[in-house]
Amino acid sequence: MQYLVSVIDDKTNSATPGELDATDAFNEGLVAEGHWIFAGGLSAPATATVIDSRGGEAVLTDGPFLESKEYLGGFWILEAPDLDVALKLAAAGSKACNRRVEVRPFL
Amino acid sequence: MVASLTKRFGDLDIAEESAAEAFAIAIERWPADGVPPNPGAWLTTTANRKAIDRIRREYKRDDKQKEAQMLYDDDPPEPLGAIDDERLRLIFTCCHPALAMETRMALTLRMVGGLTVPEIAHAFLVQETTMGQRITRAKAKIKAARIPYRVPSAEDLPARVTGVLAVLFLVFNEGYLATGPDTDPVRHDLTAEAIRLTRLIRILLPHDGEVAGLLALMLLTEARHTARVSASGELVPLAEQDRGAWDPALIAEGHRLVRERLASGVAPGRYQILAAINAVHTSAPDVRDTDWSQVVALYDQLVRVDPSPIVAMNRAIAVAELDGPEVALAAIDRLDGPLAGYHAYHATRADLLRRLGRSRQSRAAYDRAIELAGNTAETAYLTRRRDQLA
Repeated sequence: MQYLVSVIDDKTNSATPGELDATDAFNEGLVAEGHWIFAGGLSAPATATVIDSRGGEAVLTDGPFLESKEYLGGFWILEAPDLDVALKLAAAGSKACNRRVEVRPFL
Repeated sequence: MVASLTKRFGDLDIAEESAAEAFAIAIERWPADGVPPNPGAWLTTTANRKAIDRIRREYKRDDKQKEAQMLYDDDPPEPLGAIDDERLRLIFTCCHPALAMETRMALTLRMVGGLTVPEIAHAFLVQETTMGQRITRAKAKIKAARIPYRVPSAEDLPARVTGVLAVLFLVFNEGYLATGPDTDPVRHDLTAEAIRLTRLIRILLPHDGEVAGLLALMLLTEARHTARVSASGELVPLAEQDRGAWDPALIAEGHRLVRERLASGVAPGRYQILAAINAVHTSAPDVRDTDWSQVVALYDQLVRVDPSPIVAMNRAIAVAELDGPEVALAAIDRLDGPLAGYHAYHATRADLLRRLGRSRQSRAAYDRAIELAGNTAETAYLTRRRDQLA
């Protein structure tokens, strides 16, 4: 079972060296315990491009599809047997990166 | 049965529907064919078969069929004690902290308590469709997010039991001081269900002090329910209740539990202290016999465990009996910030001001309390008290 753990932030690339170190250590633990699938930090929402090809031609729009004060700053994709394990991992992840996170199961 | 089916098939919907189907077949067949020698086992077997049929219908693929067949064939019939374990698992799933508190209450009443959606909707004063959707969404989340169907591990258990007890206490309180203009002041169905479920948890976790404490607290509160509302539908405060109308059996059981916890020598938690306070009240044949110093001492203990403004307010009410209303009012006035929107805060203040002869201020406080109160019997009582002021 895979879970998306989204990091909620209102600034981009704002992690302190301490937060980065703690996150690295947390990631190493994920790999060691077999929970790691993928993770990464994202550039600012303003760097996004929305593409809509539903009409045949690709229509490009500058900026994110949703403007909001808080946004997805980064994410983990984790492997966990159930939500209890995913929540525990997410709680440790939130502590490591010092941000709020959201846990959402994959279909 | 729903609990056992949920364990076997990992799906609340399939469990519920198959159980319902089995009962429907029983109603149809038993009058004609006679009741089978072991009706419980008959129902379980029938429901299991129906669940497998359902899974087969839902997933035509071979592997799923095999999976269902394996689940059925490899699982030997469980001993009777296992049913309780499964019910406990179900309670922990329904009270999972990833679900909203109101959802936990509704789901527990539906899945563990067996109340119907209309009954739960009525209890929480929402539309049936709204409640139905809330329960459906919760079940979908349990399935999609894979909220585990098991008793939490030993390290997580204390926190999770606390969560379950909080749900049961809220259900009980909603029954004991029901809100809403057209609602009975005491919803006996809810208080009874909360007590039944707490008794169940007590059987399953007999050594948990807070479980015993919550059960004692509920019993000692429930024991007074007939004396709590007058014939004219007014709330009767503790001091004015006809103590002869209290239920002696419930009080005896509550006192027994409180004594058991005292004898354990383990430091009590919130529910045990609240139960002990209620034990002091229910030990007094007349309000004048109340050991107020004991009540205040217990509130002092409670403040250390739970330093919330509501506890501080209830402590002040006891202090009024021991040290007089003036001392109590000074303590109450300090809580104006956090409790300004709480009807009981204004009702308490109004009563203390009345006892101090400050009628004008008392009236204003009663006005505010009446404005905020949601319980019909309480509103009636507060209104009469206000109108008695000079």
